[in-house]
Amino acid sequence: MKFYTAAVEGREEMGSYTLLHYRWPEASVEPGQFVMARTNGYPVTLDPFLARPFSFYDYDGEVASLLFEVRGRGTALLDRALHTIEVTAPLGRGFQVDSAAGRAALLGGGIGVAPLKVLGRRLGAIGMPYDVFLGFADARTARVASEFPGSRVATMDGSVGTHGTVLDAVPDLEEYPAVYACGPNPMLVAVKRAAGSGCQLSVEERMGCGNGSCNGCVVPVRGGGYVRSCVEGPVFRAEVLAW
Amino acid sequence: MCRRAGIQSGGSGVVVRERMAGVDLAVDLCGLALRTPLIPASGTLAKEALGEVEGVYGAMLPKTTTPRARAGNPPPRVAETPAGMVNSIGLQNPGVERFLQDLDAFDAGVPLFVSVAGDTVAEFAALCERLAGDDRIAAVELNLSCPNVECGGLIFCATTASAEEVVAACRAVAPGKPIFAKLTNEGVVENARAAQAAGADALTVINTLPALTIDAHRQKVLVRGGLSGPAIKPVALRAVYEVAGVVEVPVIGSGGVVSGLDVAEFMLAGATAVQVGTASFVRDPREILGEFSAYLREAGLGAAELTGGLRSDHPLVTGGEGR
Repeated sequence: MKFYTAAVEGREEMGSYTLLHYRWPEASVEPGQFVMARTNGYPVTLDPFLARPFSFYDYDGEVASLLFEVRGRGTALLDRALHTIEVTAPLGRGFQVDSAAGRAALLGGGIGVAPLKVLGRRLGAIGMPYDVFLGFADARTARVASEFPGSRVATMDGSVGTHGTVLDAVPDLEEYPAVYACGPNPMLVAVKRAAGSGCQLSVEERMGCGNGSCNGCVVPVRGGGYVRSCVEGPVFRAEVLAW
Repeated sequence: MCRRAGIQSGGSGVVVRERMAGVDLAVDLCGLALRTPLIPASGTLAKEALGEVEGVYGAMLPKTTTPRARAGNPPPRVAETPAGMVNSIGLQNPGVERFLQDLDAFDAGVPLFVSVAGDTVAEFAALCERLAGDDRIAAVELNLSCPNVECGGLIFCATTASAEEVVAACRAVAPGKPIFAKLTNEGVVENARAAQAAGADALTVINTLPALTIDAHRQKVLVRGGLSGPAIKPVALRAVYEVAGVVEVPVIGSGGVVSGLDVAEFMLAGATAVQVGTASFVRDPREILGEFSAYLREAGLGAAELTGGLRSDHPLVTGGEGR
């Protein structure tokens, strides 16, 4: 896998999350695509050994942004990266958008809100109306909701917005002809059940390589077997998944 | 003058200048001409990633195929470890017939090797028989040692008898095809002797090492499978060194190669060719080949001259007089 050295353009703290901006004038980014990122690879460090997958949060043609939560050493190092990080080109299949579909619902759970920013930007550009619904554990993680003006928020502890899951903040999901969701697997299962057809889910799996080679990041599909979330996904039509 | 000293000092004089124009990366493996000694380790290069590795590999080696489709193991399948990763993929593959339909995707203008695994000796033999008549396939690698797929609790390398039995059965049904036996680290010298005696044309040394990762926060096993990556390199290097010392057939080094210097080390230990696996997830394999080329250029050597370069009768040691 080829990694590029990218200049860090800035960093913002958002409650529990970090928003990291880096210069990326190379290949364009599709909403829902992801990148493998790390502070350094061989020979500077062999531990952490693997890069980490992150959905693109935003992209303006010059600067790409990643939203992440420090969960382990890989993300802790990225959180402290001062000048450069190493990234792959944009990877995977993103959200399919169709302006003729009608009004869209964008659902994000926790750090799964990440791809909704750049997706909303795309929907705005093609003139597709949409509503944003975000679910978080608590007020601290919900801080990022301020980046989504007009969004409806739910928190598990009831400290912000509706008390409950993101689905508790949605009046009637079935009314939306297009549903785009990203979050932990249990949330995606619930969204799939509540949504009508036209539902696309961005899954989050442990990844080894990011280019289809290791078969590590699989999800179960209807009809049996598994497919790779890095190449066939990370965005899937909900009906494809055996959840 | 001892040319081995030339490697360490960076070389000097006529030999080096002659080589500056170009480095001879070619090696011969069982009569097959490889334009570089690098081979992708089975299961680490998807067809989607082939565009990234153009010109790097001297042969192609797709993921192991089995008689019937295998769904593979449920996730989580991979876990990071210091300088490596543990995987438990479970040989996910579409089965040999579908595999052969899609095989042309791996035609990169270099010899194509195919890795096979069966649950029984008869399955291994049936696979080899199926592949024997396919002219696209230059050689077959027998995956005798995938530690994350259990066949009655034992892998085929667990006893020398079974490794020998599998190789002999495959040899018999595929007389025209070179057969490589991929061996696990445990008992590798005995298994290498047995595989050679049974007719293996080359030995791939080693597969991943049995390993376990635990999620202490959730108090459960995360991934139980095979460890790969630079963490296992010294183990693999020793296995290659010892096997190469006792067999006549070529050894293909595998295990933790992450740099061009690693490639050189495996060849000095006795490998004729070297597999790159997990490293390709974290590095551009072109960089590895570039580093290896730089090493050869500096040493004033061709790739083929490195193999077994630590042995006392090797020209690198004797100055070219004791071959």
